[in-house]
Amino acid sequence: MSNQPNDSHIDVTSSTPENTRRDFLKKSTGILGGAALMSMVAPGVRSGAWAAGSDAPEKTEIKIGFIPLTDCASVVIASVLGFDKKYGIKIMPSKEASWAAVRDKLVNGELDGAHVLYGLIYGVQMGIGGPKKDMANLMTINNNGQAITLSDQLKAKGAVDGVSLARLIKAEPREYTFAQTFPTGTHAMWLYYWLATYGVNPFTEAKVITVPPPQMIANMRVDNMDGFCVGEPWNARAIRDNVGFTAVTTQEIWKDHPEKILGTSADWVAKHPNTARALIMAVLDASRYIDTMSNRTQVAKIIAEKSYVNTDVDSIEGRMHGQYNNGLGKKWQDPNYMKFFNDGKVNFPYLSDGMWFLTQHKRWGLLKSDPDYLAEAQKVNQIKLYTEAATQLKIAVPKSPMRSARLIDGVVWDGKDPKKYANGFKIKA
Amino acid sequence: MLTVLIADHDATRATRLEQAFRDQGYAVADVVNSAFELAAAVAAHAPDIIIMGTDSPDRDTLEHLCIATRDCPRPVVMFTQDDASESIRAALKAGVSAYVVDGLDAERIRPILEVARVRFEEHQILLRTAAEAARKTHERNVIDAAKRKLMAHRGLPEDAAYHAMRRAAMSENRRLVEIAESILQQLDQHG
Repeated sequence: MSNQPNDSHIDVTSSTPENTRRDFLKKSTGILGGAALMSMVAPGVRSGAWAAGSDAPEKTEIKIGFIPLTDCASVVIASVLGFDKKYGIKIMPSKEASWAAVRDKLVNGELDGAHVLYGLIYGVQMGIGGPKKDMANLMTINNNGQAITLSDQLKAKGAVDGVSLARLIKAEPREYTFAQTFPTGTHAMWLYYWLATYGVNPFTEAKVITVPPPQMIANMRVDNMDGFCVGEPWNARAIRDNVGFTAVTTQEIWKDHPEKILGTSADWVAKHPNTARALIMAVLDASRYIDTMSNRTQVAKIIAEKSYVNTDVDSIEGRMHGQYNNGLGKKWQDPNYMKFFNDGKVNFPYLSDGMWFLTQHKRWGLLKSDPDYLAEAQKVNQIKLYTEAATQLKIAVPKSPMRSARLIDGVVWDGKDPKKYANGFKIKA
Repeated sequence: MLTVLIADHDATRATRLEQAFRDQGYAVADVVNSAFELAAAVAAHAPDIIIMGTDSPDRDTLEHLCIATRDCPRPVVMFTQDDASESIRAALKAGVSAYVVDGLDAERIRPILEVARVRFEEHQILLRTAAEAARKTHERNVIDAAKRKLMAHRGLPEDAAYHAMRRAAMSENRRLVEIAESILQQLDQHG
């Protein structure tokens, strides 16, 4: 594409597949034009152009790491249902034991890409606590679908939500222990944000620890911890196992928040731009498939298997369908259930999403000074590649790389002044 | 005698590790099977080396300790059953203080731990050197800025401004950079 030397003009009437493809890719910032243009070419010609053209994947077998969680679904489904083949690649999902291992393998290239915590990729980009390396976010994998579980012991003390938990912590001070899954990751940020919303400083008024997701429930059962923030199916499992209840879902903290991304290194993208594009397209196809709700029972069955999440289907399926029960007697159909596609709104790598994690890293002292928020997000989030892939699939791409949301504390995040936002919180490290 | 802490969620392997280390004359301070106990065990025993499997989910817990202290407080040796060459490279690149052993060959423990310790110490020196260099650059910048302020403000030539600062530092028994900082502060406040 950009290394094609002979595209000095764009002729939309050109009908040879080669030219059409290149023209379209060149025009990828003016997206709708590209999609309209592609639709002029018969589908058979189009796929032939992909396979035969100079945009063939540089690497066809790609190893994608994942952690056994409900939101690894699109990576798994892209492989199991063969969406990858359509784009000339073979995804090999690789089950990983820890986020630290995912991080190390992305950094040294043992994995081509991974289902990974948004904040983790930015942590590596900034060199927080470990290796510093330029990273890449190809697309967002999912919105929503995590939660904060509190123990039944807290319920007995009257703490059932943020307000009553804060009241209890102030009234009966002791070492309240809350777990998250990785120090720079999403769950840490949701947990800290939620506690701070109710006036609890997560570092001075509570004890925060990192615990692997499958160990959460066992530790809560033996009273090792008062609460945890983790992805599904572990919050649903806590209710089924009678150890805790859902105090808040992460979609209540931030409706349609960014969660996992398809992460890799900047090096890898530079070396394999066509593979990266094919990978995005395969995972986009899978995402669209999963968001057709009638497919979700089948998806739940597949990912529950031993080689993937390795749990009972029921623990996964309910909340995947938006059927929530908080373990305190409240049941509801949540319109903001875990989304993988939502007409492409989920997947666009918004710069404001990436910057948000940096603002929280700064807020909680993981970053000692303000980075160039926008520049870092522009380096990491692969908007150009994503746009090319989405356009090819006729998936709409938003006009602005920023989006705006009002979070649970009433504060609006729109990406416009990240430094002011990061330093404007009353409760911080 | 070196004190090691073994963290392994696989209790059987942890026992084998413990035995192997004891046989080689190491003091095993504790064997931790759950991530939950890791932080407390590290704090309580201050082990010289932490031993952990590369495939351990508890690595994320250890990561938390590293970030909380801004750097891993002690060398971490990681064990793997994998063909080691790739993993060793990964560990060295990623964790620096980590070293990976292929399997649990007892006789290889000592040289490996020595390598891990040396690497860790080298890394610590590197970090200290880098921090020192950054500090010096920062100080030089502050001193230069203060000198320029003085020159502009008092109409002094460069060497006179520098000597004035140095005299003040000597007579007040403070470091030159502290004098420079207070000059910047005062001149910034008063224009």
